[in-house]
Amino acid sequence: MSISVRQLYRGLQKTQTHLVQSAEIATASVCQHLFKLSYPYGVSKGERDYLIANAVHDIMSLAIHGPVTENWLFKTKQFKEITEKIVSDSSSIVENILKESKENATREARTIPETFDQEVRDRFQGLVTGVAKHLMKKFEQPKRVITEITITNPLRHQEGRIDAILEFSNSYGILDWKSYDMKKANGSGNERWQLISNILLSNYRYTRDEDDWSMFRFASIVYHGGAYMPRLPIQEKHIAKIKDNRLFAYRTLCGEKVYAQKPKFCPVCDKNAEGCSDCRFYREDSRMAFAGQLPDNYRKITGQLFGNRYKVLEERAETHRHKHVASTMIEAYGEETAIDELQKYGIIHTGYKFVSADDTMVLFRKDDDETFLEPKKILRIIGKEENIPLLSCVSEQATVMRVEHCDLILNFRSKATVERAKLQLFNLPLIMMRDEINLTRRMLEPLHKFHRLAADVLIRKESYDDLK
Amino acid sequence: MSLCLDTEQLRVLKWRINSRGIAACIGPPGCGKTTTGSALAVKLIAEGIANKVLLVAYTNAAVNEFAWEICNIMGPTAAREYCIRTGNRAGIDCELPVEFSINAEDIRAKKIVLCTTLSLKRLSSYMRFDNMIIDEAGIERLEHLLAPFVLGVNQLNAFQTNDRNCNSINNIIDLASSCGIVATVIGDPKQSRPMGLEDRDRSAIEWALKYSDSDTLRITHRLPDKLSGLVDEFAQYGGLRSSPDIASRRLILDRIPDIAYRDVIQPEEVITWVNIDGEEQPLGPSSWANDSEARACAKICRELKSVTQKSIAIVTRFTEQRRLIRKYLQRMGIIDIKVNTTTGALGTQADIVLFSLVRNNPERIVGAAGTLQDLNVAISRSKEKLIILGSHEMMLNGWSRSPGYSTYGYKSPTRRLAKLIQSKYGKLMDPPLVLCE
Repeated sequence: MSISVRQLYRGLQKTQTHLVQSAEIATASVCQHLFKLSYPYGVSKGERDYLIANAVHDIMSLAIHGPVTENWLFKTKQFKEITEKIVSDSSSIVENILKESKENATREARTIPETFDQEVRDRFQGLVTGVAKHLMKKFEQPKRVITEITITNPLRHQEGRIDAILEFSNSYGILDWKSYDMKKANGSGNERWQLISNILLSNYRYTRDEDDWSMFRFASIVYHGGAYMPRLPIQEKHIAKIKDNRLFAYRTLCGEKVYAQKPKFCPVCDKNAEGCSDCRFYREDSRMAFAGQLPDNYRKITGQLFGNRYKVLEERAETHRHKHVASTMIEAYGEETAIDELQKYGIIHTGYKFVSADDTMVLFRKDDDETFLEPKKILRIIGKEENIPLLSCVSEQATVMRVEHCDLILNFRSKATVERAKLQLFNLPLIMMRDEINLTRRMLEPLHKFHRLAADVLIRKESYDDLK
Repeated sequence: MSLCLDTEQLRVLKWRINSRGIAACIGPPGCGKTTTGSALAVKLIAEGIANKVLLVAYTNAAVNEFAWEICNIMGPTAAREYCIRTGNRAGIDCELPVEFSINAEDIRAKKIVLCTTLSLKRLSSYMRFDNMIIDEAGIERLEHLLAPFVLGVNQLNAFQTNDRNCNSINNIIDLASSCGIVATVIGDPKQSRPMGLEDRDRSAIEWALKYSDSDTLRITHRLPDKLSGLVDEFAQYGGLRSSPDIASRRLILDRIPDIAYRDVIQPEEVITWVNIDGEEQPLGPSSWANDSEARACAKICRELKSVTQKSIAIVTRFTEQRRLIRKYLQRMGIIDIKVNTTTGALGTQADIVLFSLVRNNPERIVGAAGTLQDLNVAISRSKEKLIILGSHEMMLNGWSRSPGYSTYGYKSPTRRLAKLIQSKYGKLMDPPLVLCE
């Protein structure tokens, strides 16, 4: 074998193994400065709590496997009755998720809104109405449903999480639940760009080529009482915009000097929305730096902060190195040989089978006790699907809790995740792959705060007024 | 309130109580960094110098240590009244008598807040601390050091600085001090890894030392005379000494060990180097393991468990070696021995410590296993007995990188360690047959 896994790891230490998330591509497509606000500047997007939205997402991810597909009626006009039936059939799922969400929120001392139960039920019903009214009308019952799937395309440096994929006999459709409010989906904003980026990923999943649209059937953002579907075929200029912004985001993460363009209308700065003052600050900061108007000590301090920001980003790239190694090995030797080789080095573990689940703890077992796993390691549990690239298969993330002889106990994020995994993951041959947590944003935030502090203290008042 | 501090700890306490801005306190192994930090927090509150103090460390284990130390000083009742532990619930020590909460109101009501650097984001940005004590161990990024600083900014000070001449502010520490941040960074440059990706980058404590005032603790309450001598000379602390009450401490066994292990365990000898010539093997994406050493570690532990109830820990530089040792211990039914990497071993201690060196190759390349910081951590965890397992010849001639790799003279610090132990501080011995089987 001409490439060894260890050599590959060492080689990739010096290369950029960044992956751009679909959500980040969408942000860059709205405004490139907005993307830079997150990376490299590290401005956090407020303290909004997505308790209700997360609960609705969890409910939908389970309900669509059972009550929604079971009650799917093609070309129906009785969407109200079907919605009622689905909601009634999903009552146990809703109850369980409500209970778990509230337990988690209480444990983490988060504030549970008084109307929490009602709002979750309302939004769930709204989404089901959207499915029954619009999707069932146009599409037959799907053959298979996959929810909350992470797709990684290392060749194009992209990764994304898709809320649901509906598989038909020879085509697929993707769904995005708009659960954070009850407004209609915006056909021109962030949500649409994210949907198109996710289509590219799902094209890759089914055809190994993001530009092969032969299996794509539809994409939809399901909102309260309706569903937005972009006109097909997706315009070339929109796809080109996604790809351009993906490259922009990738190059920015790599620390290259990329010129960011402000669009004619930015929904943040031009509407004075949250984050606009930070965006204006950094734009003016760059302008003044370019014009040589900044004091020397300020430039020195912010230079130090920038240096560290790019070190943080290098760490972010490192969290994706396992995926790049796996992908390169598969490209070079084919999936089977590559998996064997990766297993020798402890990057991949095969042979584990699901035994039982207790709350969020899941027991797996294999025939021998040879393992590289240790407690606290993060794993991506991949269910190997036939003819699908390894990093696009159904997967979930979990933490190793115990390794005893042939047994492995993993802790999943929530009970809903375990339930979902039982429905779509545990029945497939399992491959456990090393994964890492990305804490980049949390690490960048203090650097941003000190940058602003340095401006407050070191830029003369008159210059500061100029900034405004 | 029980406060038993040595003269140096008292000096540091007095200095930090009467000064402001950011300062660094260097604490070699066992010199009571946690004790001094906790005592400082308690004193600041007790004397009304600060209204709210933040005690922060990188790992949950270190934060829990701070909490236990505060409980020892204040007593559990007072600790419960004045302190709160926040952050990730999964990381707390359930037996701690200090309340845990992430509720802003609960945290605001307490005077001393204990938290990890990564959990600081959970503290509301409008929560302000008059004084901060930061345990630097494990901090490998500037932003982890800056994260607590953000919570100590006094906007009024920042505004006044803006009106004064601010040309004298030339670095982040100056900037932080001018914004009213009062913080004591406690750490050890000889145990901390550099913050950047390159070895020549500074560690967090070195960075704080460069731009701020500092003081050093030199009395160790952990290491007996021979170990403190070795650590002092190896890491060049310039005068680290054992506290008189522990200087002559030696291992006392409950019964005599098996004859095969007698030389290895020998209680009178504080440091023993078992010269095992095992073969290194590359394992995992970038780690190493040494099966002979792992087996030997497990066998010695089994024997030690049968002759003493003292605490035992195993330290190694490599995660795969840690896994291998754990596997052998598990097969022997031993589950209560901690096996740590040098990073995980920071801040921990045990009566008996086994250190597995792992690397052994004809090129004599020690690599990352030979960094001064890692070796220093590994040899300074033990209170009574240190057993080193590995090839002496390899370490005596070790290179940090291949000699042809660069123009730098990359002679590994392992050379100094091997020489010091052989010539002055310990006993070098061939492995007994039972360890080679």
